[in-house]
Amino acid sequence: MTLAILVVASIAIITLDARGGFHRIASGLRSTAADAFSPVRSVVDGIVEPIGSFLAGAVHYGAVRQENAKLRQELGTLELRDAEASDATQALTQLKALLALDNLPYYANLTLEPAQVIEYGPSNFAATVTISVGRDQGATLGMPVVGEGGLIGSIVQANHNSAVVRLITDGRSSVGVRYGPSPGSLAVVNGHGSGHRLAASLVPNDAPLRAGEVMTTSGLQGAVYPPGIPVAKVVGIRTGTSSSQESVTLAPLADLARLRYVDVVLWGPPS
Amino acid sequence: MTPRHAFRVVLVVFAAVTVQGTIVLDLRIGGVHPDVMVLLPVAAGLAGGPAQGATVGFWTGLVADLFLPTPFGLSALVGTMVGFAAGATTAALDRTVWWVPPLTALVGSAVYELAYPLLGAVLGQPQMLHVPLAGIVVLVGIVNAALAIPAVRVVAWALPEASAEGAPPSSSTVVGWR
Repeated sequence: MTLAILVVASIAIITLDARGGFHRIASGLRSTAADAFSPVRSVVDGIVEPIGSFLAGAVHYGAVRQENAKLRQELGTLELRDAEASDATQALTQLKALLALDNLPYYANLTLEPAQVIEYGPSNFAATVTISVGRDQGATLGMPVVGEGGLIGSIVQANHNSAVVRLITDGRSSVGVRYGPSPGSLAVVNGHGSGHRLAASLVPNDAPLRAGEVMTTSGLQGAVYPPGIPVAKVVGIRTGTSSSQESVTLAPLADLARLRYVDVVLWGPPS
Repeated sequence: MTPRHAFRVVLVVFAAVTVQGTIVLDLRIGGVHPDVMVLLPVAAGLAGGPAQGATVGFWTGLVADLFLPTPFGLSALVGTMVGFAAGATTAALDRTVWWVPPLTALVGSAVYELAYPLLGAVLGQPQMLHVPLAGIVVLVGIVNAALAIPAVRVVAWALPEASAEGAPPSSSTVVGWR
């Protein structure tokens, strides 16, 4: 009897969540839970991290001593290079500004909110990360998030001081993209799960596409991303004998396995 | 369930959520992390029988669903079934024998991690199958098997005496865990 009641209750919750009204309630509950759990996480991390570091240091004492000596030597070398580096940094900043104007128009035209990746996905069955920027910093549902290299995903849950980002590799992610010579052809890049390549659909057999080509967000009317954000690089093109479409695989430009710092693009689709 | 036991269960679930959300999420192998929330319904099934396994599985699943991007209620559904199954399938065994909890946790966790994406796919989320399923099943199963004995003791402390629902008349009690 207990089993039957609980199974029916679970199915009812799942069914209601699939509908609009309760889904908003569930999202609100999730956001509240994330906000409530955030201080607990901070406290526990504050306790656990030093213990973990201490244990790691104790276990690897010999290696740590060797590494320490090596690092001291490298520090001296690096101090000598510091002066040169400051000049190089200035040059790099200028180059980035030029690139922003030239190839990456979204940097020049859009407001970015820097954020830190504070947690990799809590589920083994979805590709998400949690970032340190939330509603209080202006992040809202659907906003694009970019990392070093290009688009990493969009916000699917905005809490007070954190947000959950669905990565472009997640199976539920699809991004409208543009490629080829101006004005560019259109396609859709779909995620196939963490660790899997992306795939582009709607690419015809005669598409002007080559390996290494970068696809950028299309920014069509009603699109969920602004135009011009680099998304992924073509790594494979296979033409099916009976298909009218190319089978195109892509690799994300951003290194999604090692995300540390990202930018939230404070942008919403034009209403 | 008395208020005292309810408080204990809440305490255990809160502890499990904290451990899962802090320490366990950082223990990744090949992008896969263990899942100690799965252990609670299995431990409850072993410590309290099928009905309590299902009940703990349902509520633990609902709490887990608050922190997961997957369909709300899916963890509750799978947790309910796995908790009940853990209690029912071990009812004829002496649950105090040392190898029963680890083996049940290993099998129960594996079943949970297989059923979860399958039901997700049935519910219109086929991408949940596009994961390193073998790695998830093995990692979650082994970690939970290693933690099974202390987990059953903690859950047995929290739960009231086992109910007989779903268990055959000859089933053993779980007094040994208390």
